[in-house]
Amino acid sequence: MTVGQPVERVDGRAKVTGAARYAADRTLPGMLYCHLVMGTIARGRVTAVDTTAARAVPGVVEVFTHENAPRLTSEQHFMPLQGNQIHYNGQIVAITVATTLEQAQEAAELVRVTYAPETPKAVIADALAEVYLPANQEVIVGDPAAGLAAAEVTVKQNYSSPPHHHNPIEPHATVAQWDGDRLTVHETTQGVVNAQRTFATAFAIPQTNVRVLAPYLGGGFGCKSPVWPHSLLNAAIARQLGRPAKMVLARSQMYSIVSHRAEFWQQLTLGAKRDGTLTALVHVSTQQLSRTSENMYSHSISSRMLYACPNIHTRQQGVRLDVPTSRFMRSPQMASHFGLETALDELSYELGVDPVELRRRNYTDVNPTTGERFSSRFLLECYNLGADAFGWSRRNPKPGSTKDGHEFVGWGMATEAHDHSASPSSAMVRMAADGTVLSQTATQDIGTGTYTVFTQVVAEALGVPLNQVKVELADTNFPAAALSAGSGTIASVTGAVNAAASAVRTAVVQLAVSNPASPLHGLPAEQIITQHGYLFSPDRSRRESYRAVMARHGSPVQNTSTMTNARGYSTGAVFVEVRVDPRYGRVRVTRGVGAYDAGRVMNRKTARSQMIGGFTWGIGNALMEHTVLDRRTARVVNPNLSTYLLAVNADVPDIQAIFVDKPDPVSTALGARGFGETPITGVPAAIGNAIFHATGRRIRDLPFTQDKLLRELLTQ
Amino acid sequence: MTADSEFKRRTVLKAGSTAVTATFVATRTATPAAAAQTESSVDITLRVNGHDHRLAVEPRVTLLDALRERLDLTGTKKGCDRGECGACTVLADGRRIKSCLTLAVMRQNTEITTIEGLARGDRLHPLQEAFIRRDALQCGGCTPGQIMSGVACISEGHTRSADEIREWMSGNLCRCACYPNIVAAIQDAAK
Ligand code: FES
Ligand code: FES
Repeated sequence: MTVGQPVERVDGRAKVTGAARYAADRTLPGMLYCHLVMGTIARGRVTAVDTTAARAVPGVVEVFTHENAPRLTSEQHFMPLQGNQIHYNGQIVAITVATTLEQAQEAAELVRVTYAPETPKAVIADALAEVYLPANQEVIVGDPAAGLAAAEVTVKQNYSSPPHHHNPIEPHATVAQWDGDRLTVHETTQGVVNAQRTFATAFAIPQTNVRVLAPYLGGGFGCKSPVWPHSLLNAAIARQLGRPAKMVLARSQMYSIVSHRAEFWQQLTLGAKRDGTLTALVHVSTQQLSRTSENMYSHSISSRMLYACPNIHTRQQGVRLDVPTSRFMRSPQMASHFGLETALDELSYELGVDPVELRRRNYTDVNPTTGERFSSRFLLECYNLGADAFGWSRRNPKPGSTKDGHEFVGWGMATEAHDHSASPSSAMVRMAADGTVLSQTATQDIGTGTYTVFTQVVAEALGVPLNQVKVELADTNFPAAALSAGSGTIASVTGAVNAAASAVRTAVVQLAVSNPASPLHGLPAEQIITQHGYLFSPDRSRRESYRAVMARHGSPVQNTSTMTNARGYSTGAVFVEVRVDPRYGRVRVTRGVGAYDAGRVMNRKTARSQMIGGFTWGIGNALMEHTVLDRRTARVVNPNLSTYLLAVNADVPDIQAIFVDKPDPVSTALGARGFGETPITGVPAAIGNAIFHATGRRIRDLPFTQDKLLRELLTQ
Repeated sequence: MTADSEFKRRTVLKAGSTAVTATFVATRTATPAAAAQTESSVDITLRVNGHDHRLAVEPRVTLLDALRERLDLTGTKKGCDRGECGACTVLADGRRIKSCLTLAVMRQNTEITTIEGLARGDRLHPLQEAFIRRDALQCGGCTPGQIMSGVACISEGHTRSADEIREWMSGNLCRCACYPNIVAAIQDAAK
């Protein structure tokens, strides 16, 4: 039994030795380097581009502007360099192409762009009159007005959070090579199959003419889900110039052309009975939209799915601004969930009910919006397991009750919840004549452990040792499979991998029992046991190795299977301890415990790492991460890693991850559900709730930076 | 020739050059950028992982870009190109430095160690082993930098407590946030 065990990453060795080749690590003969020139206004027109100086740089092959760039359309995005309109600051306005990276970079500095600028608007506060409700963004269940009227206690509060940028450590990179009308792309993508389609559409060539590879991805978090226009432009340049082309984004460029989490304002109104049961939940939010797209990516799903409440109203408003289009970012629920879980904490103090108890009283087995029963749900167990491990029962509920030296100590908690995606996927498993096993599927391992988990799944289905199995991913030559987004990889693809491996097992068992030369000849196939690379008779008195069966057969046994899977809802409870130094308004998270119902756990080691990663994102969102937009120029003021702060090693305490580990019966992924995004969702609220418990001060605007907390601590 | 077969050919060349210490010709044309010389190029010798590499680079070429784009030593990663993330950390005469913040021409006569030079043949460095055992990596984008930084952290003696390791490893960002596991791995290897 290997599924569920804490198996070490099978791609670990490649990653710790530097042998793993990521997209930017590809270098091809004759390859050219492309570098982007970014616009410096947010709204208006380009009136002229002077490329004379740039073209004079030795090694420069071509400079593309909107006047001479290849003509392209994108399935899903505004395509720059097709006209002179500017829709956001940091839009691509030119591309330099040269023999070396340094030459391309130098040339990019020398491109002179003249604009006819108009006054932009970047933040919600500057466009309140333009807030509107896009189509299909309102859900009403029951009678919210009546629910509020029936409430004995009401909490009504506003919360807000800033734009965020994904900032994977690996910048976006794309290396394109043409052979006639066939294109090969090494792309930093969370979905090679999607990418293949996007490239094929852009160049009007058959999908089968495009091969996309991404065997290793240095993090995605949502900003590598789509193929962005710069990758299409790079491929178009490679085609036009007849040479392979490479483009790697500078870190600063990742703050305008590969999306962000939108600025988010929200108002929560909770109505409750004195015992804490909710009578109404009204959630009105507003988020930034771009001029070129109405798509929204921060949804109030938790308000619609998490708690028993007969009367629910969610209204997701937007406002069109001169900013890039936002996108899903690791746990798109985070922003709205922060409001909900903070409002519940506020309600718990209004009622004098313990925050965990308040959530227990509003627990539901049924999706309150659809009335459907959840396939399995162990959230109550999560509250118990998490609270016990944390020592929650020792908490003095009074804010400001615990001091240690200069510091206030506070404990807070929140529910965590994320509904993961699922899509149909195929996978191939082949046992070679020497008994070794290869599995191929065109999904990805973006750091989550896909290679390792599928190795476990195949090994277990066949009954062979892990080292007899090799898994290959993220190549469009393999059977099509899911995008690695929405925590959907394991949930979407495991079923197909398992089915293919099981089919191979059945076929090999059949080969053995039907062949007089096998010691298992004549036994009923369904009674054969497979383990450790052997086929056994039911009483284990007879056996034959896979290797022997395959050697006799002399040719590979292969199966390709396809499976669909249901979406699922993974929940949990997170508990944190903070220490607040009131002299500086400084907050440190000193302890964290999370307990989760994510269905069956496939690999305890990688699942724990996902939890730690998610929790740490929560710390970042709570305490430091925010993209600052200059309201005058609509430009990101902090497009770098020294002023867009991420949590560093010293910010992260010991974190404990607990799993209920019960299979979800509707999952075809051996009972597993998606999990990677769940453990972020509640952390910002839990930290804010802990700060309130420590100090009696409530901050409703993320992040909880020192200036905000000091202001609160110094007033009254 | 497909991208992959070309890649394999180069890997073979590189493997060959490590077996024989000074196959200059092979390393010199490892990539097209290495072949591209301009008037301002200067001939330098970089000593990386115990092997001398002669190459012609413009003075503005960073050590990081020389390693990655000229010598095809792509284990060292570029996360920011301005000293903020630590992904490009290598050892220079045993000290950890950010290879994006130094020029290749300044690093002649320096013993440079990159992630590719840490293992002894098939035998991983104890910190590489500990990273796998402790699951101190996810996507791997920061991992080479973390490991090189961790090796130096250990040799500097900054491992007397978990808090001390946290502090001295905070120049290496990990967006997947493997931090507690990185601390555990360094503690293991420091023993
Ligand atoms: S690439 Fe050198 S520190 Fe980020
Ligand atoms: S492992 Fe992904 S950035 Fe560290």
